[in-house]
Amino acid sequence: METLNKIGRILMVEDDPKDVELTLSALEEYNLANEVIVTHDGEQALDYLYCRGEYKARSSDNPAVMLLDLKLPKVDGLEVLKQIKSDAELRMIPVVVLTSSREEKDMVASYKLGVNAYVVKPVDFHEFVNAIKELGVFWAVINEPPRGSVRK
Amino acid sequence: MTTMARPNVQLQFARSPALRYVLSALSVLSALGAALLLEHFQFRNVADGLFRIAIAITIWNAGTGPAILAVVLAGLANAYFFIEPIHSLYVPRAELPHFVIFILFVSLLTWFAAVRRRVEAELLQARDKLEIEVVKRTEQASLLNLTHDTIFVRDMSDIISYWNRGAEELYGWRAEEAIGKHSHQLLQTEFPVPIEEVRAELLHAGRWEGELRKSKADGSRVVVASRWSLRQDEQGQAVAILETNNDITERKRWEEDIQNLNQELARRSTELESINKELEAFAYSVSHDLRAPLRHMGSYTELLQKRISSVVDEKSNHYMAMMLDSAKRMGNLIDDLLAFSRIGRAETRKTLVSLAQLVREAVTEARQDIEGRNVVWKIGGLPEFYGDRSMLRLVLVNLISNAIKFTRTRPQAEIEIGSSEGDKDDLVVFVRDNGVGFDMKYVDKLFGVFQRLHQSDAFEGNGIGLATVQRIVHRHGGKVWAEGLVDRGATFYFSAPKPQGHLWRP
Repeated sequence: METLNKIGRILMVEDDPKDVELTLSALEEYNLANEVIVTHDGEQALDYLYCRGEYKARSSDNPAVMLLDLKLPKVDGLEVLKQIKSDAELRMIPVVVLTSSREEKDMVASYKLGVNAYVVKPVDFHEFVNAIKELGVFWAVINEPPRGSVRK
Repeated sequence: MTTMARPNVQLQFARSPALRYVLSALSVLSALGAALLLEHFQFRNVADGLFRIAIAITIWNAGTGPAILAVVLAGLANAYFFIEPIHSLYVPRAELPHFVIFILFVSLLTWFAAVRRRVEAELLQARDKLEIEVVKRTEQASLLNLTHDTIFVRDMSDIISYWNRGAEELYGWRAEEAIGKHSHQLLQTEFPVPIEEVRAELLHAGRWEGELRKSKADGSRVVVASRWSLRQDEQGQAVAILETNNDITERKRWEEDIQNLNQELARRSTELESINKELEAFAYSVSHDLRAPLRHMGSYTELLQKRISSVVDEKSNHYMAMMLDSAKRMGNLIDDLLAFSRIGRAETRKTLVSLAQLVREAVTEARQDIEGRNVVWKIGGLPEFYGDRSMLRLVLVNLISNAIKFTRTRPQAEIEIGSSEGDKDDLVVFVRDNGVGFDMKYVDKLFGVFQRLHQSDAFEGNGIGLATVQRIVHRHGGKVWAEGLVDRGATFYFSAPKPQGHLWRP
């Protein structure tokens, strides 16, 4: 394994600015916040992945992991997940659904679409920080992403 | 019908030919005898008249053949006995015209008689045929009278010509009253389609069926299933309409009732469906949208606490701790509420479940809560239930943990779990305790969501346990109820239909 300094890029799809702030502050504690791209709805996330719109000019590497909320404006999380997992190029990106919803049907639908992990945001901030930290460390540091992903 | 209504003597007599010829000979002989006798007493010229009478009688009674025989015999007898020279068949020239006239006259008579007889025979035959027909018809009519079905016949101008007993019974008019009346006027018939269409179909197909509304003699309306058949004569000319009616008023009313009920049911289930959808959407939004701000409150409070806890006083720290505590408590409430709503929506996976096993598990689970307490368990025989194991387990865990909770103030807690016979098809299980009990006046509130009969600092809890119990038991087709007295303990019962095909195993 290479050094932990090599951090994968994290694509976060989250419409709630407070959740963005809290997630970033949790990642910050472990110095994982620098390589986070934040998109605020499903459409923006897809624009990023397909390098179109405002992300036309970006380098075409895939993120090491994608943290996906389910309830999103415009294109919702399940739809984004469906598009990613049915695209030959994008399906290799590990996707972690990070949601407030404990609904079983969301969970079942996500797994059916091929999600890599499903995490319910804990109410307790301690637990939330721990969850984010572990997610960040595992997917962006420990996990070996497929080729074509950004490593710093 | 094997014998005729009125036997015909004349025709029967004429059926024996030998007898008819004998009659013919006898009548001529009698006339001859009478003429000879009268001649003996000096009565002249009577023979002609007597022979004519004899021939007439023969014609009348014995028919044409015997009459011809009588004419021949009378002619010979006349020539032999009464025309000079007597005792010879020779007829002198002077007597010839007289004799020829006699023969011609009686021959003419015979011919007339023959014609008359033929006409008469035909008439008789026709009459007999008619009689047979009448008898047949009368019999059919009386058979039609035996049925309770309503049958009547009307001619092509709708004038009633036959009205059976069933019609009398249904409509209340007697045959004498109905026959001769205009059918649709008498019964105030109401057609589902214009009467012209009905008539056209009847004439075209020879029959028509449909529902008609008609009036009875007492003025009340009936709905009848009506069948019309067209009666045609030999030339194919429509002559009458036979109509049968079945009273379907009651059936129609039931049909209408059922239809109304079905509509009501459909309406309600649509309503229910939309309410369920709303509830689901509500639960989803509770799950998602309520938890988010709650999580933010807690998280920011914790971030704040981390930054300033070392520089602010104890009271401020206490306040922040309370904020965190409340956020956590509300999180738990939301989770419980969601779990509760999920029970209503989740599929039940029913198997045969041993309640005794579930009780053992629930009691083991509760062991932690009763550490250091004196609890006496009385566990009786428990049946097998047909139900969802995890749901039934939740029922027992809830009831048992309630019993443990509300006996906390007792030096010795007594908790009894057992079963009793309910109605013949139900199993009943109860959990009884000697705890603080409740006032029966509030029994209805026990099973409501978030309903609590105790202050939260006396007995913790969020009032969702019994609501969950009720929901699960209802989903199993059972009932829940409770009995209690303030400070004298409480008993909670639940029932469910007995598993079919399995014996009660206590």
